[in-house]
Order: sequence, then C-alpha cells, then structure tokens
Amino acid sequence: MRGGYDRPRFLWLVTALTYAFLFAPIAVVVLFSFNGEKSLQVLDGLSFRWYEAFWNDDELRESLMASIQIAAITTVVSTVIGTALALGVIRSRGKTGSWLGILLLIPLVTPEIVAGVSAFVLFAQLGVHLSLTTIILAHITFSISYVVVVVRGRLATMGTDREEAALDLGATPWQAVRLVTLPALWPAILAAAMIVFALSFDDFVLSFFTTGETPQPLPVRIYSALRFGISPTINAVGTVMMLVSALFIGLAVALPRLLGRQESGMAVLTGRSE
Amino acid sequence: MTAAVELEKVTKRFGDFTAVDALDLTVGQGEFFSLLGPSGCGKTTTLRLIAGFETPTEGAVRLDGEDVAKVPPYRRHVNTVFQSYALFDHLCVEDNVAFGLRRQKVPKAEVGRRVAEALELVALHERARSRPHQLSGGQRQRVALARALVNRPSVLLLDEPLGALDLQLRKQMQIELKRIQREVGITFIYVTHDQEEALAMSDRIAVMHDGVVQQLGPPEEIYEQPVKAFVAGFIGISNLLPATVENGGVRLATGGLIPAPVPQGLPDGTEVQLSIRPEKLWIDELEDGMAAVEGVVAERVYLGTTTQLIVELTPGSRLVALEQNTSRARADDRWELGDRVRVGWRPEHAQVLR
Repeated sequence: MRGGYDRPRFLWLVTALTYAFLFAPIAVVVLFSFNGEKSLQVLDGLSFRWYEAFWNDDELRESLMASIQIAAITTVVSTVIGTALALGVIRSRGKTGSWLGILLLIPLVTPEIVAGVSAFVLFAQLGVHLSLTTIILAHITFSISYVVVVVRGRLATMGTDREEAALDLGATPWQAVRLVTLPALWPAILAAAMIVFALSFDDFVLSFFTTGETPQPLPVRIYSALRFGISPTINAVGTVMMLVSALFIGLAVALPRLLGRQESGMAVLTGRSE
Repeated sequence: MTAAVELEKVTKRFGDFTAVDALDLTVGQGEFFSLLGPSGCGKTTTLRLIAGFETPTEGAVRLDGEDVAKVPPYRRHVNTVFQSYALFDHLCVEDNVAFGLRRQKVPKAEVGRRVAEALELVALHERARSRPHQLSGGQRQRVALARALVNRPSVLLLDEPLGALDLQLRKQMQIELKRIQREVGITFIYVTHDQEEALAMSDRIAVMHDGVVQQLGPPEEIYEQPVKAFVAGFIGISNLLPATVENGGVRLATGGLIPAPVPQGLPDGTEVQLSIRPEKLWIDELEDGMAAVEGVVAERVYLGTTTQLIVELTPGSRLVALEQNTSRARADDRWELGDRVRVGWRPEHAQVLR
C-alpha cells in the first residue's frame, strides 16, 4: 500500500540504490562462493566445491571451532559480569554512578587498533603466553561495555517500581533481583549476549594482536591465508561467517519474542517500544 | 489503642531540598486517611517513609507503636499499591497475588485459598491465569490492590492508585475502594492530588504543601472551614477577597464593611482574606443579616446541573457563584451579562483567613 500522499516516486529509486550499494560486496562474496571455477572474476557453473575445500582444510576447520569457542566463552563471561555491573551502576546514586557509567563507554570508543596494541604490550610485559585465553580476555574487555549499555538501557526504562514492589511484598533484596528484576531483564540480557557473540566471532583487530600460533581464530586465519594468494575458498569461509553472525543478530531480535515476551528484541536493541 | 502509624517530627531532605519538614502525623487503626496536595508537596515521600523506601533524615516513624527506623521494607507489615501498579509482567495474575504469601512461607493450601479470596474481593477470579498485559487498566489496578491486600497488612499505602484511569472508571473505583476498606477493616493511607477523590473517600484528610501539613480534619471541615488560603484555594473553587479586620467584621478592599466570623484575638487593622465557596453565594433576593456586595455579571458558564456566574465587583476583583439549575430556576434565564446584581452570603459561611 502506498503510504501518505504525493510521495515522490524517485524516493523508491534512491532507496533501491542505497540498498544495492550496501549489499553489493556481500553479494559478490556469496555469489562467488558457489562458483564452479577457480576464478574471482568470472562466474561459471554452480558448485559447493569451495565449501568442501573449506571443510576439508583442517586448519580452517580448526580456526572455525576456535572462533566459536572464543565467542561462546566471551559471551557467557561478559554477559554475567556486564549484567551485574549494569545493575550496580544504575542503582548507585549521585556522581559515582554517572562516572562509572561514563567510564564504561571508553572501551567502546577506544580505537580497536589501540586496544589491540595495548593488550599485546600488556600481555608481553606480564609474560603471558599468547593463546586462545588471551584473545578471550581481550574480547571480554570490550564486550562487557556492550552488555552494560544494552542492559542498563532496559533497566532505565523499567524504573525501580517493580523491584520496590517485590521488597514491599516481603522479598529480600536478593530475591527481588532474582524473582523480579532478572526475569524482566531477560530479553535485554539475551539480546546483549547474541550481539556480543556476533561481535566476538568476527573480530579481527583485537584477535590479531592477542592470538598465539595455533589455533588462530577464523578472521586472523583468513588474513594469513591471503599472503599465499587469494583462494576462492575465502568466499565460502566468508559466507559461512556471515551466516553465523546474521544468525546471532537474528536471534538477538527474535529470541525475546519467541520466549513470549511482550516486546521484541528489536525494541530492546533500538530502544523503541512498539 | 495504639496508632497504626505515627510520624514524629519527621524530616526528609534530598540534598538541599526539604521534601518533608518536621511532620507530625497520627493515623488511627482502620482509618481511611488521605494525604492531599499538589505534586512536590511531600505526600509521596511521606508514603515512602512509611513503606521504608526512604529513611527519615530526622524524626521517628512508628508502626503499631514500634519504631521502624532500622526495619527494611521487606520486614514491615505494610503493603503498597503503586501508581504504576508495578505488576510482575512475567507472572500470571494468580502468581502476582501469591508473591507476598510465598515470601512469608505460607503453606501452599492456604496460599491458594487466600489468593482466591483476594481475587474474589476485587472481582477478578475469572482472570487468575491471565498475564498483566492482557488486562485493562482498571483490572491491572485491581490486581495491584489484591496483591497488597492478600497479605493482610496492618496498613495499606496507596500512591495515586486511580491516577491512570479515566474519569468514569475512577469514580467507580472510588466507591469500590471505600467498600473494600470497610470490608477488610485495614488502615488505608491514600495519596492523591485529586481533592474530589480525597473528599469522597476519606475519614480524615491531611492537606500538604511544601512538606508541611496545612490542615488536618474530616472532609467536611477541610472543605467548609479551610484555615489557610492555600487550603481554601486547593480544595474546590474558593473566592478569596482581601480585607482588613474592623469592628468585629471586615472591611473589604473593594470597600464596604460586612459582618464576618473574625477569630478571637485578631486586632482591628489586621490584613486578612475572606474565603467564600461559590455555592454559598446568593444573587439578588437576599435574606436579612446577610453580608452583601454589588457587582456586574461578567461571565455566565452553563455547566449542566449548575450555572457559573462571574460577578465583577470592581475591575480585577471577581466573585464566582454557582446557581443550581433546578426545575424552578435556571441562572441563564434570570441574569444577563451586564446585569447589576447584589451578591450575598450568610456571615458564618465565610472564613476569615490570615
């Protein structure tokens, strides 16, 4: 249905062009991942040979598993810490609370290259052997901030009424959080967790500076592989990565709704109520 | 009998702002007590001090005679109905109502029985399994009420519980609340800025302004005999005429010496305000012994059951009068704009306020 009246038709064209611009690079990767030929310029036939090549490449497969492992552990740890921190920050009155809140934004605005180099230097000075653990530690640093921002936003719109109602009805402060606040926060916590998973899974810069020899996370692995020339396998790997990321962002939007909440994850993420 | 709630010289400051200022208040057992005032007058803070969400900066709060300074909200035998209802959206109606009983470790069978009773009391037993978001505003309000009442608190605190409802429903719930309070016999402390609501339901009303109780008494007294200009102005419509005390009566600023109930001990020349309710004013056809002034009909507003006449005494000094539109009389048949009229009242219906 055409909305409004006298809406200029050229707006459709502008919109279409913008979307084409947005998706052109992605489309190329996805399209060439199914190429029958070993060319990055010419499409010829349709095949899954590059996906097979990906799966049969032990190092790539190992890297995929490493990336999933990193993202999973990062998600669990930073979601727990971030949620606890969000509760603490929002409940602390006065200046302390607002300063704690502002400090939390710094990891989000720090250039990733700076964060990467710093982490590398820090680990070197402490004499820590670089491994999956160091990557996970680095990922957790910025992920906590994401979780706090999302969860705190939800807490702010919720207000303190429900928690006070729980106290009023005889719940101890701990019971109030467990029985009332957390269930109401669940959609935001899940959404934050899914975002963190997606961010950690495709992070390159931090991983690059904090990775050990093997196994390397997938984005770092792809980068190293490029030094020996571009293989169309990269397209298959890229498409898989994109699917995983899209899956988790999709879950961030859909899970809260699937769980029968009133509001969708979209509302949680964009802060808009429906 | 010990008072249900007693506040003694309670002060609450937030930084530089004094929300409640040396407040003394005693609420009796089983009383329907209202805290009435404009927003920011300290009524909600007073309620939160009783609930335990705020601790007094100075003074003592006593519940059933016991000082509760060190008692957290979850160990106080009071319950609150929040303005926002604050229902738990992830629980059904039944579980919302059972929440308090379960925290008290009440046996399961008893929980079931009491929840059913409470839902019956607010006529929501058929919606026991619904989620709060499936209910209308009025129904949610009743769930909040049942959730608090089911714990049989010694005091029920209500923070503008009808504020979010439309006018019709609000009127209906006022009657309903009064009935429930009579049935359960629990002390109600009711916070509102709606004077009609307070007048309709309360046994006693405390009118608050600037963190201080301006007047405390039964509804009739608050309305008929306001002791301060603020109370007269806040409760209903009131005509306030500046005057000075003279010879046992008052001389109006617009001129004219009229009889008035001047409180003892006010010497001649004291500046006062004379407060008269619009419905106490007579127009023309006055009786002997009435205080009377003259003016011109400046506005006439038809309001259905009444017609409001605005009479200008001198430029800038106006009186509002309400005339009943009974079958015998309709004000708009009797007076036209610009008519010169005499406005009078019985001296005892006016209040002399300092």
